[in-house]
Amino acid sequence: MAIRMGFVIITSRCIDCDACMVACRAENDVPLGHTRNWVKSSGVLGQFPKVREVFQPGNCMHCDHPPCVSVCPTGASQKRADGIVIIENSKCIGCKYCIVACPYDARFANPETGKADKCTLCLHRLEQGLEPACVQTCLGKSRQAGDLNDPDSIVSKLIAKYPTRVLLKQVGTGPNIYYIDEPVSEIPEGK
Amino acid sequence: MSKVYTWDQLFSRRQFLKGTVATAALGATAGIGLLEPEASMGLSNSPPQSPAKGVKYVTTICEQCVWRCGVIAKVENGVIKTLEGNPNHPNNLGKLCPRGNAGIEAMYSPDRIKFPLIRAGARGSGLWRKASWDEALSYTAEQMNKIKDKYGAKAMMFNSTDNLSQPFFESLLKAYGTPNYGTQRSLCFNSMTTGFLYTYGTPQPGTDYSHCKYMIFTGRNLAEGISNNETQEMIDMVARGVKVVVLDPRFSKTASKATEWLPVRPGADSAFFLAMINVIVAEKLYDKGFVEKYTQGFADLVTEVQEYTPEWAEKKCEISATTIQRIARDFAAAAPAAIAHPNWRTSNFVNSFQTERAIAVLNALVGNWAQPGGLIPDQEMSTAKLGVLSHPPFPLAQGIRLDGVPWKYPMVPLAYGVIQTMRDNILTGKPYEAKGWLISRQNPVLSIPERQKTINALMKLDFVVVIDIQASDTAYYADVILPESYYLERYDGLVPIKNKIFIRQPVIEPLYDTKSSLMIYKELAEKLGLGEFLPYKDELDLLSRQIKPFPVSLEKLKSDGHYEVENFKEDHSKDFEFQTSSGKIEISSSIMAQMNKKAVPTWNEPPRPEVDHYYLLTGKTAQHTQMFTQNNRWLLEVFPVNRAWLHTSVANKIGVKTEDDVVLESEVGKITIKAYVTEGIRPDCIFMVGGFGHVSKGLKSAYGLGASDSALHKTVTDPISGGSSLSETFVTVSKA
Repeated sequence: MAIRMGFVIITSRCIDCDACMVACRAENDVPLGHTRNWVKSSGVLGQFPKVREVFQPGNCMHCDHPPCVSVCPTGASQKRADGIVIIENSKCIGCKYCIVACPYDARFANPETGKADKCTLCLHRLEQGLEPACVQTCLGKSRQAGDLNDPDSIVSKLIAKYPTRVLLKQVGTGPNIYYIDEPVSEIPEGK
Repeated sequence: MSKVYTWDQLFSRRQFLKGTVATAALGATAGIGLLEPEASMGLSNSPPQSPAKGVKYVTTICEQCVWRCGVIAKVENGVIKTLEGNPNHPNNLGKLCPRGNAGIEAMYSPDRIKFPLIRAGARGSGLWRKASWDEALSYTAEQMNKIKDKYGAKAMMFNSTDNLSQPFFESLLKAYGTPNYGTQRSLCFNSMTTGFLYTYGTPQPGTDYSHCKYMIFTGRNLAEGISNNETQEMIDMVARGVKVVVLDPRFSKTASKATEWLPVRPGADSAFFLAMINVIVAEKLYDKGFVEKYTQGFADLVTEVQEYTPEWAEKKCEISATTIQRIARDFAAAAPAAIAHPNWRTSNFVNSFQTERAIAVLNALVGNWAQPGGLIPDQEMSTAKLGVLSHPPFPLAQGIRLDGVPWKYPMVPLAYGVIQTMRDNILTGKPYEAKGWLISRQNPVLSIPERQKTINALMKLDFVVVIDIQASDTAYYADVILPESYYLERYDGLVPIKNKIFIRQPVIEPLYDTKSSLMIYKELAEKLGLGEFLPYKDELDLLSRQIKPFPVSLEKLKSDGHYEVENFKEDHSKDFEFQTSSGKIEISSSIMAQMNKKAVPTWNEPPRPEVDHYYLLTGKTAQHTQMFTQNNRWLLEVFPVNRAWLHTSVANKIGVKTEDDVVLESEVGKITIKAYVTEGIRPDCIFMVGGFGHVSKGLKSAYGLGASDSALHKTVTDPISGGSSLSETFVTVSKA
């Protein structure tokens, strides 16, 4: 079966430390004022003292039907055969259609290059056999990435074992970040 | 006469080296084919074995906080590209926190101090001239010797905060002969360390998270005060479904992960623990065998806690009696795999020593010492011993200490000290006048309560020299700044952790005319005529002598990043030999009894704010380290400014929303700060993250951002532990 790269994010293991954001900035030279990934907080919910707060990391969802790709007038935004959504810099004219089209607000205009910019799933690291920088550094092992079609991958094993949700399912983009909110006591061994 | 520069003129070139190399990886190109299946997710968290041309990996130790995590730096054509956690390092197991990931930014920051500076205008004017190392060190030594000749060595104070080369700083101060040593400890954890020292004979026992079934945190906020491996263990513990109770007046991120958050009244956590002890004693839930064999003073405790019923405690700590009862029973049932955590920065109230003593005793009652899931005895016995350098005996320090240890604070260990009293006595001139201050990598202007007093103290002295990597608020008021090389550019002393010995080593050569503190201390010692006390030629000479007892070369240590001692056996033979006066766990403290103080944990009523006043609480955020990282622009991206947490009812009363400016005013100062309105704090408390509100114009990104708690805090000291009682400051709040 074809490779389908994506993320599983275990929100219950995230402490909102933002190490993933800083690691991504360092790895990908993301300019100040912009970020390729994020940790969103629900804010403190409820009334004192019955309160709770949840954290939801995210980045480009590497969608099955990416609107950023269909609106791109030059073919710079592409969905690769392995599922990773990329921007071919030499073809990008900086029109920003894709930035507007993304329902997850995962793209920005890079002021240094004038091109659209976003998470590449650390493609350059994957090619060296390394995990994406955000996954590598995550203290809570909240972020996991891998081949969603490979039953032996960590992400597939997690999806098989726990209930998952995706963001903005109704939009029909087919996002490839699967969120697990339940406690996950052990990260399975896998690829 | 050399030219005089302002700070801006000296360091105006807005260069950011990283940006000039960079950007090769921006966006992926389509030319790269489909990933090979086996390469798709290698799941290796170490760097590739055969790096590309121009790329090298160097293993070293982080210094973005004091936790000493292992780091693997990736260098491309001489520029450090990324930092990753070293999977072989027990302090972080391959992971880095946001601060660790951001280490590169400060290294290439235009705000680095790039050469020695000598003040060229009034103190604090920001006028400097560039000096050579020889001139700066000679001038410093001349001033220090002048002070010693005229007023005695005691007139010189030496301050430093936890760092790898601290033992050599201590050699310098002992060689100079001053008794005045200032650390950060009284602003941090003196109540915890003294509380456990006078109970178990060890100041900081470990905690076995991996087997623990019931954890109570009361001042250990691992999600925001990240101690990397412990934070990871906390997350795992929560994920395993372990019962985690957090006592905190504020809904911290740790509280958000816990199974139960108890918004305790500040300072009254003491009552909570005394009542837990009351229940455990009354219902005979303690470990009778353990108590009889290893402790002393149980009978006195029984008498003392009789009145500390859950109903009594409810009125004090505002946690219901039934909750206290339930937690006491469940905690005892989970024991010995149950821990009331010793915590960390716990110097909050004058009674915090008693709180820590109650915590220490509660652990003893359930017999969790050296048990799976309980407290772990001192690790020192099971740590590899480095080679030492021989030097002549140190001269005897002449005179009593300015910080009141031990003449005012007899129970505070000399190595901890009471820094806020040192500052106060610079101003009072009692018991004698201080004249000079050597400060290495410490920022008392922002750390000690009553910032203005600390600035006044600096202004009063004849000579101030600061060693730092950046123009901290304290460096800004110095006469000489000796620029230390960044942690990615230098060696420090070796670090043994159990059976492994780790090295901090330069990832790249220093970018500027800076030196390691090892060499600054040594060369200063030579200029002072004290070179024989720091008897090493250079860093490599020192390190090779530290590693000498082991069959490994320095080259091998450098390339591996650590050395693992072979056939190393952990020594647990002395786990139950308690280094207390009685040799037992002291439920009743012999030393407290000698001082004619109540020897068992007892209740001291903490003060409450008056009408329209609020407790001022301060604490950490995961994205910054004390007052050290606010100039780091990568960290400002994820935590740009501190805000005052106000309960919704308080915000409504004064008519403010989140992001509105509010004025906080205490007896000693006034600040303006943005509000953060939340249900996650007690209505009688206001919280702010410390470390912002820098006054140094040399920190261009941090200058003027947010506000400093040091401008509000009163100076209140616990006479037993010497801890600065930081939460005994009350403030009013109004719309700005």
